[in-house]
Amino acid sequence: MRLPIKYNVRNLTVRKGTTLATAFTIGLTVAVYLMVMALARGIDLTLASSGEPLNLIVVRNGSTAELNSAVTREQLNSLMFLDGISREGDQPLAAPEMITLIYKARKGMSQGSNITVRGIGPMSTKLHSGFKLTSGRMFQPGLAEAVVSRRIAERFQGMDVGDKFRIQATDYTVVGLFDAGGKAFESELWVDGNSLASATKRENYSSVLLRVKDQAAMEQLAKRISEDQRLQLKAVAERKFYEDQQGASSGVLKGLGAFVAFIMAVGAAFAGMNTMYAAVARRTQEIGTLRVLGFKRRSILVAFMLESVAIALTGTAIGIVLALPLNLVSTGTSDFTRFAEIAFNFRVTPDLMVSALIFGAGIGLIGSLLPSIRASRFQIVDALRSS
Amino acid sequence: MKFSKLILKNILRNKRRSLLTISSLVVSLFLIITLATILTEFSRGTEQANPARLVTRHNVSLAFPMPAAYQQRIAAVPGVKDVMRFSWFGGYYKDLKNSFANFACDAEKLRGIITELKMSDAEWQAFISDRQGAVVGKKLVQLYGFTPGQRITLKSPIYNTDVEFIVRGVCTGGDEKTLYFHHDYLNELLPAWAKDKAGTFSILANSPADVPRVAQAIDSMFINTDAPTKTESEREFALSFQTMMGNVKQFMYGIMGAITFSLLLVMANTMAMSVRERTREVGTLKALGFQRRTIAWLFVGESLLLAMLGAAFGIGLATLVFRSLDMSLYIPNFQQFKPTAETLAAAFTLALVIGVSSVSLSAYRVSALTIADALRSTE
Repeated sequence: MRLPIKYNVRNLTVRKGTTLATAFTIGLTVAVYLMVMALARGIDLTLASSGEPLNLIVVRNGSTAELNSAVTREQLNSLMFLDGISREGDQPLAAPEMITLIYKARKGMSQGSNITVRGIGPMSTKLHSGFKLTSGRMFQPGLAEAVVSRRIAERFQGMDVGDKFRIQATDYTVVGLFDAGGKAFESELWVDGNSLASATKRENYSSVLLRVKDQAAMEQLAKRISEDQRLQLKAVAERKFYEDQQGASSGVLKGLGAFVAFIMAVGAAFAGMNTMYAAVARRTQEIGTLRVLGFKRRSILVAFMLESVAIALTGTAIGIVLALPLNLVSTGTSDFTRFAEIAFNFRVTPDLMVSALIFGAGIGLIGSLLPSIRASRFQIVDALRSS
Repeated sequence: MKFSKLILKNILRNKRRSLLTISSLVVSLFLIITLATILTEFSRGTEQANPARLVTRHNVSLAFPMPAAYQQRIAAVPGVKDVMRFSWFGGYYKDLKNSFANFACDAEKLRGIITELKMSDAEWQAFISDRQGAVVGKKLVQLYGFTPGQRITLKSPIYNTDVEFIVRGVCTGGDEKTLYFHHDYLNELLPAWAKDKAGTFSILANSPADVPRVAQAIDSMFINTDAPTKTESEREFALSFQTMMGNVKQFMYGIMGAITFSLLLVMANTMAMSVRERTREVGTLKALGFQRRTIAWLFVGESLLLAMLGAAFGIGLATLVFRSLDMSLYIPNFQQFKPTAETLAAAFTLALVIGVSSVSLSAYRVSALTIADALRSTE
């Protein structure tokens, strides 16, 4: 025979203070867990959404990022007309791009971070979908003009329309701001590839982006390029290329999040045990009475555990509510592979909330286990006789 | 003090509750100390920067090298004691996961400019006289078992090349997960486009007072070239790396704040339960003539004692754990991982504050009850 749920609920509401204090302790644990994980998730989702399903990115063999890759003009020529590349008219959808970094101070600070400068080709905006100017205009090919991601313009000094910055001896003018649908490109500054090549006196491109006809062509082409001994290049699905970068920043965060959440959970479970032991002690006679009425030990056990889980779930709900506004917060960091800013939003995703619920309920269960067992083991006579 | 025995008795009355509360304090304080230590190490680059040292880099960003020939011109700037090339090589050992800092430098100048590096004279001589020689930090020895005389190959994704070095010395000081080698040796191996360049110049000024003037003189010297420079104090340079990481400090303070608040709730809850259960005793004490203040202090003392015990064990745990486990081996740029005395003292103070503040409301309330009300309590 199960105890009615109403019994648990009434017990919780009668001791509002204790219930709330314990719930808040668990809530804060869950909130911290969500905060750190939402940060890691934000980076991961930004990177995961950056690649396009039919794009192939070609970089130098052995390079770990676009930044330390090089593709020569001869290599580009032998890539452009390979089978399997989509065309627009008679032009292959291939975009040679050149990467460099420019250091800028953050707004309101003396120091800042590197920003990725991408010198793009005529086909680039077709290959990076989601690119959209939000103000100003596109740069004119061949001129020392730049378009800057809106997020970067918001976060760094001197990156607004009309501002100038210098690369080597060339002064660039910002002529427009853009959005890129939450992708990694939203942390970049785009200029004309040829103008960047002459400004930096560089011959080589950093990477070449190819749009393939279909999935089958993608694998064939990737194999064809990567296995060509003369080329010394590797071709990777753009999606995979960005997904592989996920660990660089988010790995440390996930580790930190798990560590902090685990220790806070231990602390919260101890606190939960205290609350539940007190509840058991206070209701000893009551437990005796319930047993006399015919409720089984198991029912008592389940009742106390349910009570604890209910507290924990209330706490988790508080934690989720505390963490949800983070979705509106935009932030940025750098890792040592890109060596440049990546701007993103905290993302408290549904699956994170589900994991928070499981985590919170787990704290409640573990915290209640010993006190509930104790409650279920009372001898009826002793329990009734206790004061 | 004469009530200390009573306070102790009260704590021992519900041993399990006291133990759980203290345990909760211990793990939370351990966590706070750990996070504070991460922050200490994170800020070490700026806190312990040599005030007489400067770094020159390309004005646009570190992705642009400067002509190596700048070295002679910088050396001639008044106030400059010494200058060397100092270039990030970005090599890794065998596998990408074995990445550690490695710099090409002017071997004969390394010791005089990065003064915190310590090694025997014989080792310095061996390093300087071998073009292929390398100095490894002590922690690289712990991590990869490098020994003097050993040949090690680093792969550099930046230059797309493998370079073999011979370990000539093991040094201490600075980030001991760093390898230093000869710039001249690297220069020989590099392709034409990368030759005769330097990533940064490391400069020692005659005195900290010379630093601003030296920085300005260097930057104005190269302002109209293809490679204009940005020269800043070592502290500012280190700060640029910290700001690159984003709002790490605020983030960590946020977490520490949440832990503190949750600890406050745990303590307040425990003390509220204890106080409530003893309401009738308060009536008895009052009937015996104890003053309100004394009764309140009994509870405050109890909470303080719990907090102090928790703090003592938490501090002890953190000290023990980080003495036997050197986390800095695994975290780039961290020189060590030991809680500072300030951190430990702050953790102890925090525990005391939590101890007092968590009980005040319950103690105030219960001690304000009249004898009759207290005795009539049904708790």
